[in-house]
Amino acid sequence: MQENYDVVIIGSGPAGTTTARIAAQNNLKVLLVDKKQELGSPIQCSGAISHHGLVSVGVSPEAEFIHEAIYGFDILNEKGDSKKIDYRQLKPDTYGAAADKNPLGYVVDRRRFDRYLMTQAERAGVEVWLKTEGLNYEVTSDGNCEVQLRRFNQELTVKTKVLVGADGLQSQVGKWAGLTTHIKLAELASCLQFIVDQVETNGLLEIITGHEWAPGGYAWIFPKGNGYAEIGLGVARTMTEQNAQWHLDHFMKNSFFKERFKNSKILEIQGGGVPLAAPLKTQYADNLILVGDAARHVNPITGGGLHTALSGGWIAGNFLGDFLASKVPATAENLKRYQDEWLVALGNKMWKLYGIKSQIFKTKDITKRDQMLYQTMSDYFSPDSEFKKI
Amino acid sequence: MRKPKSVSFQIGWNACINCGACVAVCPHDAGFISPFDTIAVDQPCDIACLLCEDICPVTTITHTVVEA
Ligand SMILES: Cc1cc2nc3c(=O)[nH]c(=O)nc-3n(C[C@H](O)[C@H](O)[C@H](O)COP(=O)(O)OP(=O)(O)OC[C@H]3O[C@@H](n4cnc5c(N)ncnc54)[C@H](O)[C@@H]3O)c2cc1C
Ligand code: SF4
Repeated sequence: MQENYDVVIIGSGPAGTTTARIAAQNNLKVLLVDKKQELGSPIQCSGAISHHGLVSVGVSPEAEFIHEAIYGFDILNEKGDSKKIDYRQLKPDTYGAAADKNPLGYVVDRRRFDRYLMTQAERAGVEVWLKTEGLNYEVTSDGNCEVQLRRFNQELTVKTKVLVGADGLQSQVGKWAGLTTHIKLAELASCLQFIVDQVETNGLLEIITGHEWAPGGYAWIFPKGNGYAEIGLGVARTMTEQNAQWHLDHFMKNSFFKERFKNSKILEIQGGGVPLAAPLKTQYADNLILVGDAARHVNPITGGGLHTALSGGWIAGNFLGDFLASKVPATAENLKRYQDEWLVALGNKMWKLYGIKSQIFKTKDITKRDQMLYQTMSDYFSPDSEFKKI
Repeated sequence: MRKPKSVSFQIGWNACINCGACVAVCPHDAGFISPFDTIAVDQPCDIACLLCEDICPVTTITHTVVEA
């Protein structure tokens, strides 16, 4: 017999697990599937997320998934001039390592983080199937839809009212519904990162701007716990002849940090694509909504997508609770309300950030562009940034 | 150089970090994807924009021309 669900979610990353947990807390019957055997792996993420980003969606910061606590930023330009934004000094009453204070954020281990989020969803009543790939979906005449899945070796279909595509950057679910989801080459940063030993860090996320090191993107050094660090960068391939691997090598061997990196030993190699793009214009179809990277809920300036995946999931889960309780048919027209709610809560600000980002990278003069990016990054992470919660 | 009409892709599986960036820029409809989160290698590509080769952080996608 075919199983019936209120909601089926494809993809058990931060977006899918949060949508699932919140939908289940709204008394919905939820199935969450992921094709992976180990969530979060291979890692395609640096794992930086603010304290606020976690607690605002009901996730408590747990040692289980935290590599290291973060207290601020260090923004560097192409010459290595640095602007430190250390919240331990800016707001010493709130931020710090002491028991009565909070870190500003964390670097999380995506393998443990995604598994933790899945566990929380399961504890809220969500049914989770790993090693289960979403293959397609079809709207049925009764106003619901059938989702085709492959679970280990078995192909099966399940019935649901709404399908949620939370299948990340390489999203296929939106394409099933005929939505245009692919990203322009100019707007997808090609990223590579090394986890290294013997590079010192100091509780800050270091962001290195400048065309010389990361054309169309930026380089970074993040603390990774246990004395390890991560050195990474993303480049826009329309702005350079070389690939990310070449640029990372160049940055490590020739930048103002070459002495600091001299004895570094590579422990892991990770990478991925980061959309520095606008959100999808249409994130819904009949019986379908998209959330997280699949809907391009990514900050177009920083490339950060964890906080936005979690808050997008929060919005989607609560929306589905109300929507399915109201018994309105799950047509595209009615599901548009989800996107409207998301735009008000997050999306309009992301569109604004996209405008700023486009302005910077449209600038032909490299010196001017470098200055603009440096300034924007410094403002963005400062205590009075208007985008603080994104 | 004129763009070929149709190509088939090869991937250096050792260099590939399974990052999925090639799939994210690919303008094909659903399904042009391999079991390892890369663009498909078991069917010819008749768009041949070759954007996937550019985005790959480790430049490990190559192609052979099926139809020039
Ligand atoms: C190099 C790099 C560094 C980054 N660093 C940061 C950072 O420091 N901070 C930050 O906030 N963000 C960062 N990001 C962005 C962040 O990783 C993403 O925005 C975030 O993972 C999006 O979450 P998601 O849940 O939408 O998708 P994902 O985490 O990609 O999850 C999607 C899930 O869907 C599953 N899936 C896909 N297709 C199917 C299918 N057909 N059937 C079943 N399952 C499927 C996948 O297996 C996966 O588990 C980084 C990204 C990259 C590439
Ligand atoms: S872009 Fe390159 S490294 Fe990433 S999945 Fe595709 S072939 Fe592999």
